[in-house]
Amino acid sequence: MAASLVRFVRGGLGRSFNIARTSCLLQQQNRLQSSTTETRPTVRPKDAVSHQQLAAFGEYVAETMPKYIQQVQVTCYNELEVMIHPDGVIPVLTFLRDHTNAQFRNMIDLTAVDIPTRQNRFEIVYNLLSLRYNSRIRVKTYTDELTPVDSAVPVHMAANWYEREIWDMFGVFFANHPDLRRILTDYGFEGHPFRKDFPLSGYVEVRYDDECKRVVAEPVELSQEFRKFDLNTPWEVFPAHREPKQAAPKLEAGDKAPEKK
Amino acid sequence: MASTAATRVATGAAKVVKPIFSRDLDEAKRRVRELYRAWYREVPNTVAVFQLDITTRQGRDKVREMFDKNKHVTDPRVIDMLVIKGKMELQETINVWKQKTHVMRYFRESEEPRATDFLSKFYRSHDP
Amino acid sequence: MAGLLKKTTGLVGLAVSQNPHERLRVLYSKILASLQTMPQDAAYRKYTEQLVHERFNHVKTEPDVEKLEKKINCGQIEEVIFQAECELSLSRKMNEWKPWEPLIEEPPPNQWKWPI
Repeated sequence: MAASLVRFVRGGLGRSFNIARTSCLLQQQNRLQSSTTETRPTVRPKDAVSHQQLAAFGEYVAETMPKYIQQVQVTCYNELEVMIHPDGVIPVLTFLRDHTNAQFRNMIDLTAVDIPTRQNRFEIVYNLLSLRYNSRIRVKTYTDELTPVDSAVPVHMAANWYEREIWDMFGVFFANHPDLRRILTDYGFEGHPFRKDFPLSGYVEVRYDDECKRVVAEPVELSQEFRKFDLNTPWEVFPAHREPKQAAPKLEAGDKAPEKK
Repeated sequence: MASTAATRVATGAAKVVKPIFSRDLDEAKRRVRELYRAWYREVPNTVAVFQLDITTRQGRDKVREMFDKNKHVTDPRVIDMLVIKGKMELQETINVWKQKTHVMRYFRESEEPRATDFLSKFYRSHDP
Repeated sequence: MAGLLKKTTGLVGLAVSQNPHERLRVLYSKILASLQTMPQDAAYRKYTEQLVHERFNHVKTEPDVEKLEKKINCGQIEEVIFQAECELSLSRKMNEWKPWEPLIEEPPPNQWKWPI
């Protein structure tokens, strides 16, 4: 119980904090903070109630499956995110589908994110929907180019084509998938286009060849090297994503521990 | 791509990694041999079905060349990954999901070799 | 619907249950039996036992189906039966997975850090 609490991280305005630090003092600060009225109409208002509910549910999930869940957080847009170990894909998804308090029976989306600087460069993201409780959850796990992930098809039939897409676009291998083959690229295509190291121009270009009487593929040749445009705006793109100063968490850890249902 | 991953695995040799299929190199090699046999047997059929203008001999040489291209790979996981991709290609060929153009793409007939000496490179670069 | 026989649940693939009380009683006792094999302090066992006991009490005390549906407040009684079936299969799988054990592996450093 305590262990799962320590690992528990919650995002307020896109930042995550350790709620192990919650103390009476912080709660006092929280009260002071909330007493000031919201006067900025352009800033998205905080929905404290649903935030609390999601946080409580996230804590519930983390407490029931401490073996697989590494971290739980609620983003600034009130989305519950559960970060799990790759071995726990089937157990966690099955738990979320079959448990009476969860009933996330619909798989809305399954995709991957490529972040080449990380040790495990691919993030696999599962988006689930519970019609019974009208709520959504996002389950994230990680892998690299050579580590197979368990296929989610035995749990959610909808995962079949999504996993084929990830295999095709990112080259993540799904173990025990019933029918893993390409879905979007042409036969004979080499490489995985959504990887960050795949060039924007691709490797081959196709044309109709009159002598061979068929379409031929040749290595792409550009008369000019593909230009790299510098599209940085002068504005700060993710103002909420600035690194907090070292003293920041103490000041900002506004969320107090949610009451158990 | 695969080779970069292989070096990374090799550096963290102490780390235990999850195998794809094969637990050691011998098992991986067995899978490669199985795949090679399957391709070898499939070549005459492919030549007939796709009505290719090549002999079976040429096709088999091509298969061998494609396998030889990856013979430097020693990591069982990388070998497994290559075998998986080879199996998928084989399936696409057997079921005739591919067309003639996809099969003939292995032979790269239409490509002219790139010039290597300085002057011809220089002339080429002026082509529109 | 008072006094009338229920003809359909209105949901595809979900037939009307002739004897929901009996079915639920069987399912709930099976779930409780499979929960017995888990360790006492497992959070899954704790919460599921609590939930099942609550519903089981409703089933025992309330003979009228419509009132029972209102008391459980989780859809029609057929849906409740379906949920119980899922919970039963889940609890059996949970016994294999043992998710109450401590975390198998910590994430690599900076795995969940965003922006990078």
